[in-house]
Amino acid sequence: MLSPYGLEIIESCLTCKLREDRLFCNLSPAAVKDLEAIKYSTAYPKGAVLFVEGQAPRGVFILCKGRTKLSICSSDGKTLILKIAEPGEVLGLSATVSGKPYELTAETLDPCQVNFVKREDFLRYLRDHNEVTLRVAEQLSDKYNTACHEIHSLGLSHSAAEKLAKLLLEWSEKNGDAKQPGRMKLALTHEEIAQMIGTSRETVTRLFADFKKRQIIQLKGSTLVIRNRQALETLINP
Amino acid sequence: MNHGGDIPVSFFTCDVAPQRLFTHLGAEALRDFAAIQNVQEVPKGALLFSEGQAPTALVLLQTGGARLSVCSSRGEKLTLRMAKAGELLGLSANVSGKPHEVTAETTVPSQIVFIKRKDFVRFLKDHSDACMQVVQMLSNDVHAAYDRVRAIGMARARHVRN
Repeated sequence: MLSPYGLEIIESCLTCKLREDRLFCNLSPAAVKDLEAIKYSTAYPKGAVLFVEGQAPRGVFILCKGRTKLSICSSDGKTLILKIAEPGEVLGLSATVSGKPYELTAETLDPCQVNFVKREDFLRYLRDHNEVTLRVAEQLSDKYNTACHEIHSLGLSHSAAEKLAKLLLEWSEKNGDAKQPGRMKLALTHEEIAQMIGTSRETVTRLFADFKKRQIIQLKGSTLVIRNRQALETLINP
Repeated sequence: MNHGGDIPVSFFTCDVAPQRLFTHLGAEALRDFAAIQNVQEVPKGALLFSEGQAPTALVLLQTGGARLSVCSSRGEKLTLRMAKAGELLGLSANVSGKPHEVTAETTVPSQIVFIKRKDFVRFLKDHSDACMQVVQMLSNDVHAAYDRVRAIGMARARHVRN
């Protein structure tokens, strides 16, 4: 079934072919059947806000398709992107479990299919299925890991150049082309990259120009090629 | 060996019940939890686990205190927070099986309960209420970590510009 955003919608978790590859969704048939009964499947366009930092938790959002930007915002309007969530991740999990307000804002970067589960249904579902509770614990551990990684990067990096070098190396490992190592698609704008490393858009643009001039990277449209990996590593560990 | 702290004999019989740990479990679950504990006294400055190390055991800080920190490749240390008696340390790494994200080091002589990872995972599989409480603890840890990210990230965004 096609949605208005060009998404091929997964109609049922029971028949989803991607389920086995995803950390949260790969559950027993009984647990999937019960999840099917409590979830609301929705397609969102790019730029839709799923929930906002500080909002009381309504429930969890299971990302089936598309990517979502997770960010925090200061009182003077500065944004820091913590993570780009990928399909299979459960968003709003810690707030839904603890009952505390959402600690992040989630905004779709692409058209997305999302399964929403209301808080009270989700908590009952966890009580009924220990295997799901264990899976949730694993997802929360991953989120804690991400937050610690972010603290490490923000608190112990000396310069924006070092933080950008770290980000590019991480992306190359995670999203790089397996056949052509060091080559990847840049899916974020300079403004968004700046928000990921806690600096300004102007600084990111200047650093990219500097890296290109020093032949550390090459940019062709949205394709980035790391030409001198060692130079990036030296920026991190001088 | 006693390094100077007040040492309860067992968590199960301890009068000063740790505040955050398994407060509403049934008798059977508490008995099973007591059976997998290994109590040790450690001096000030003991390294309980290090950032990057594979998790082998969960650490329950029964008495005393510990510093949780991260370290840069240049050796600079950033303290995340001070853990108090009653806290479970290394929870997320032991649940996920991924390396520890932080280093934990005692700040005073402490009594520590070590719980082997495989025993802990089996305990969670056997006791759904304990598993639910672990999920609650992890949620609180995630909230605290995001608060720290907000504090550090926003301060750096204001002051570091090049």
